[in-house]
Amino acid sequence: MILAAGEAAGQLTPPLPHGWIGTTSQWIEGFGIGLVVLNIVLLALVWHRLRAGPGAPGMWGWLLVAVGLVPIMVGFMTFAHGLESSATVSACGSCHVMTPFVRDLRDPKSDTLAAVHFKNRFILRNQCYECHSDYGLAGTISAKLSGVGHVLRYTTGRYTLPIKIAKPYPNSGCLECHGESQRFLSSPSKKDILPELMSGKMSCLDCHAPVHPEQKKEARR
Amino acid sequence: MTEPRRPLRLLRVAIILALVFNLMALVVLIRATPIAFTLFMFLAQPLFALALILMAVAVLGELRARRTL
Repeated sequence: MILAAGEAAGQLTPPLPHGWIGTTSQWIEGFGIGLVVLNIVLLALVWHRLRAGPGAPGMWGWLLVAVGLVPIMVGFMTFAHGLESSATVSACGSCHVMTPFVRDLRDPKSDTLAAVHFKNRFILRNQCYECHSDYGLAGTISAKLSGVGHVLRYTTGRYTLPIKIAKPYPNSGCLECHGESQRFLSSPSKKDILPELMSGKMSCLDCHAPVHPEQKKEARR
Repeated sequence: MTEPRRPLRLLRVAIILALVFNLMALVVLIRATPIAFTLFMFLAQPLFALALILMAVAVLGELRARRTL
């Protein structure tokens, strides 16, 4: 009965708030594309006007706008959009080695820890990034640097299958959300082991496994 | 004879570099994959910085030619 209701609900989409005009990211994307088109037109115009030589009237002003000011705005828009997009699940799944993880994550029938968090919306968005990055500024910087390493290893083929987490998953990743939840703190099953969990002497994953599906030993690429 | 053409050539290279920067930015804006974004950060942005340097060199050359500096 509940399953049938869930299936029916899956075909519907939740209503958007009144006066919905899109997300900030969508606006940045649209505005950025507009600026790129404007900049390309300006560059073509300046290229054409250069025929008269750099001493032509108004040339330096046009050059400053086309090669200096507008590209800086394009850079800011692209950086903001790229930074936000690189944290999405689809960005993580764009490398094919991540496909089994993302497929399982989105599978409503899966009972892995990641899938349970995804299907129940325990984490609203950027589910991979939310769990696999430490919080705070240092966490963001560290996650981005790791991401560059992942891209380099993926494009150069310097990785081995099955993919393994680089270091043991820290409890802080779970406790960032659960650590101050009353349901967690007052849970009878956690009462005796709470100090061990908080200090990291015991891993949350000792009991809550598997987190992701087991990977097949497949050929690389 | 070739000296007056130098700023012109620098400016043309700067325009081409700015165009490459814009095209790489467009790829990220349309489909922001991690590879596209990494290329934008580590290739497109240095190219744009080079374009700015070339333009600055051309501006200085022009100012010197006009004996403003």
